[in-house]
Amino acid sequence: MIALLRPHGLLRESLRKLRGNPLGFGGLVIVIVIGVLTVFAPLFATHAPNEVDVYARLQPPSGEHWLGTDQLGRDLYSRVLHGGRIAMTVSLVAISLSMALGVALGMLAGFGPRWLDRLLVIGFDTVRSFPTVMFALAVVALIGPSLNTVIGIVIITSVPAYARVVRTQTLALRERDFILAERAMGASTWRILRHHVMPNIAAPLFILASMDIPAVVGLEAGLSFLGLGVRPPTASWGSILSDGYAYIRNSPWPLIAGGIPLVLVTLGFTFFGEALRDIFDPRLRRKT
Amino acid sequence: MTTVLEVNDLQVRYPHAHPVAARLAGNRYPWIDVVRGVSLQIARGETLAVVGESGSGKTTLAQALMGLVPSAGGEVRIEGSAVPRDRRNRLMPDRRRVAMMFQDPIGSLSPRMTVREALAEPFQIHRPGRIDANAEAKRLLALVGLGAEFAERYPHQLSGGQARRIGVARALALEPALLIADEPTAGLDVSIQGDVLNLLTGLQQRLGLSILVITHNLNIVRHVADSMAIMYLGRFVEQGASGELFRNPRHPYTRALFSANPSHDPRKVAERMRLTGEVPSLMRRPAGCEFHTRCPLVADDCRVIVPVQTEQAPGHRYACLHPLATSAPRLP
Amino acid sequence: MSEVVLAVEHLSVGYRTARGTLQALRDVSLEVRSGEIVGLVGESGCGKSTLISSVIRLLAPNTEISAGAVRFRGVDLLTLSEERMRALRGAELAMVFQDPMTSLNPVLSIGRQMADIQFRLPGGTREKRARSLDMLQRVGIADASQRLGHYPHQLSGGMRQRAAIAMALMMKPALLIADEPTTALDATLEVQIIEQLKALQAEIGNAILFISHHLGVIAELCDRVVVMYAGEVVESGPVRQVFDAPRHPYTRMLLACDPASIDERARTLPIIPGILPDLVDLPGGCVFCERCDRAESICITQRPRLEGGADGRAAACHFAGAPR
Repeated sequence: MIALLRPHGLLRESLRKLRGNPLGFGGLVIVIVIGVLTVFAPLFATHAPNEVDVYARLQPPSGEHWLGTDQLGRDLYSRVLHGGRIAMTVSLVAISLSMALGVALGMLAGFGPRWLDRLLVIGFDTVRSFPTVMFALAVVALIGPSLNTVIGIVIITSVPAYARVVRTQTLALRERDFILAERAMGASTWRILRHHVMPNIAAPLFILASMDIPAVVGLEAGLSFLGLGVRPPTASWGSILSDGYAYIRNSPWPLIAGGIPLVLVTLGFTFFGEALRDIFDPRLRRKT
Repeated sequence: MTTVLEVNDLQVRYPHAHPVAARLAGNRYPWIDVVRGVSLQIARGETLAVVGESGSGKTTLAQALMGLVPSAGGEVRIEGSAVPRDRRNRLMPDRRRVAMMFQDPIGSLSPRMTVREALAEPFQIHRPGRIDANAEAKRLLALVGLGAEFAERYPHQLSGGQARRIGVARALALEPALLIADEPTAGLDVSIQGDVLNLLTGLQQRLGLSILVITHNLNIVRHVADSMAIMYLGRFVEQGASGELFRNPRHPYTRALFSANPSHDPRKVAERMRLTGEVPSLMRRPAGCEFHTRCPLVADDCRVIVPVQTEQAPGHRYACLHPLATSAPRLP
Repeated sequence: MSEVVLAVEHLSVGYRTARGTLQALRDVSLEVRSGEIVGLVGESGCGKSTLISSVIRLLAPNTEISAGAVRFRGVDLLTLSEERMRALRGAELAMVFQDPMTSLNPVLSIGRQMADIQFRLPGGTREKRARSLDMLQRVGIADASQRLGHYPHQLSGGMRQRAAIAMALMMKPALLIADEPTTALDATLEVQIIEQLKALQAEIGNAILFISHHLGVIAELCDRVVVMYAGEVVESGPVRQVFDAPRHPYTRMLLACDPASIDERARTLPIIPGILPDLVDLPGGCVFCERCDRAESICITQRPRLEGGADGRAAACHFAGAPR
């Protein structure tokens, strides 16, 4: 991973370019804000997320409850922050593991013998052909809902996508002159993969990851909405939404509270991911 | 005179993509011969140029010698010792004795590595851990006439000429006996082509380096090569000392190549040996002399009989049934 | 005197970059008359690509045309509307590029592409096919009727380039611009194609602007030559005279570097030492003075003007024509 993260002044130049891309910069700001709020959720929360207060049910926003309360009088703002923790935890853990596995399998497929590549591709395509939600339903029915189950589902369904991207990049790099030069110098396959392939596939991978976060967050929220994710009373954006849906006639605020963060995450990470792609692509296709 | 490189009957084949179709089309074997029995020798301190056009197999020859592609047959000796092959039939030359310089100078450098790291690669691969990367980088840069400040640059920050020098520097890191240069002047402006060539000949004199140059540019061959080999469809049609070949080409293809120099001199244009048609596909090799489909001097027996190699003067070999007379008019 | 088909008049083009404006072309003038082949010689950075892009008006978004005009048969192309420009391209102004693989549509057959080009001409499918067939034969493609049904990837590099030339000349344009069309081809093919081009041009009578860095090709093919360096025209004139007795030091040094011109084996090959000047921050004076072997103090301070004589030759040097 360290090889992937070597900045080489890339970081500085990327930040400079980002300033010229207002949407992307806005996306980055949202990403950072969400990151800070979720990591430090207990600090920023005003109440305990599961603290019930039956006298303050379904209240609109006020000085006491910034986003109002839900049907059990729990402070929505604090629940949203803690729900964010769940969403981000799932995203980061699941995507990191998916990336790691995807990189390993993708490089194996791209650089290894043809038969292995064909086998792996069949594997990837098989997994990808399952409809995600049905697959999730099946797994939850077998194992029971929990945070780890959700993470596991996300990993299994995401790995093929990452592996495919890595495989394509590796296949393309395989024939490049500098890889040939390394082989001509007698470099081992391991050395080539570690020092020459990995740093050059980092960019598309991070772009994919960035654009993947909204999807993973959506998946987690969707599963929680269906009651298949984290179990109550743990706050999750999906469960806030499902509660809000049930009480929509009484108060719109739970729905709004649950919906806004989803929208923001999706917009923020998507804009950021697209800006990343714009930054890296012209660099990759350099013309003098 | 020590022989640094000796190649005997080297062959490189690629399997046919569609073996059944190939059989039906009349091929005896389910493969394509890209290099079909090449033999050559390079002595210490000498330069041999392999000249050919596209489809001749010259780059494949270089890649086979470096073990980048498998070779089906033939023996290769470097400084007298035979080069073994691995399980996939790729030659395994000692990479400290043979090094290669690639055609695309910037593309052959790893884009995310600085010049210093790129120059340290050969050491890292063969003698890990025991080097001072900075010192070696400085030494190698100086060897090719570049200042130490280039060590911090990335490949995309180099010009074509500078990147080429760094390619040379990297190839010379472990002080090899033989350098294989694949199209060393490709893509370079005429006004700086001389730079790379002068560098190579200078290094040759200083270090006693042997060089195998792969090129399609005959004009530079005259100035850098002691001997040359003309390649067509995977075979050498003529080879020998450059001076001898320029004075007395015996094979029509050699003469056609020499005269394929556009010029404003109408005399030269008139004397030009013109070829007809295009290079035949490797999948449908012509019968008899493989050059007969384009040869302006083709005779009936050329279509049927495969010419054997004759040795005209020591070292000057060619394969043609009706070679050009030795009193052919002197060509530039 | 035949008609002036293309006249570039004092054209100056720059590119806006983060560091400032990169002055790619400065006060460039040249002329191409009908029936003649003019060669444009220059190495990397001389501005040939910018010049061509300006003529056919396919410029990058950060381009700035600060002065000059490009007159095609009297009409200034730079002020033309995009529709009128489109009407000209392909019909009266045709182009052949260096890499035919990227200039030919890979998913259409050659015949289909050649038929498409003829959309302005009268006649049905059969007439168009006949014209295409005729053109392919004239560029020396064997089995032309079979080739009409082939796709670009089925043709070899040489054949693709011939097909591209056939397509460009089929509409009998007044001007053909050829941008390094033979650079990527083998030498034996190159000579075939330039001989063909010369024959075709004699038949059709169009003007050709031929760009190349291969001096020999220019010498054999062209009637006149324009030599460019770092965005300026440094010399022009009839090709034989310019190559036999160059007046600008760059032309002279460039010719000396051409390995084909050196008959005896040379221990050290000549080069032009130094690098191109910074086009964003140009020093005053002659653009070539840093690398010139006979620069004097006047060269550093005063920029030489392109001065021509009655012999049709011009050179931008304070010592043009003077003996060394």
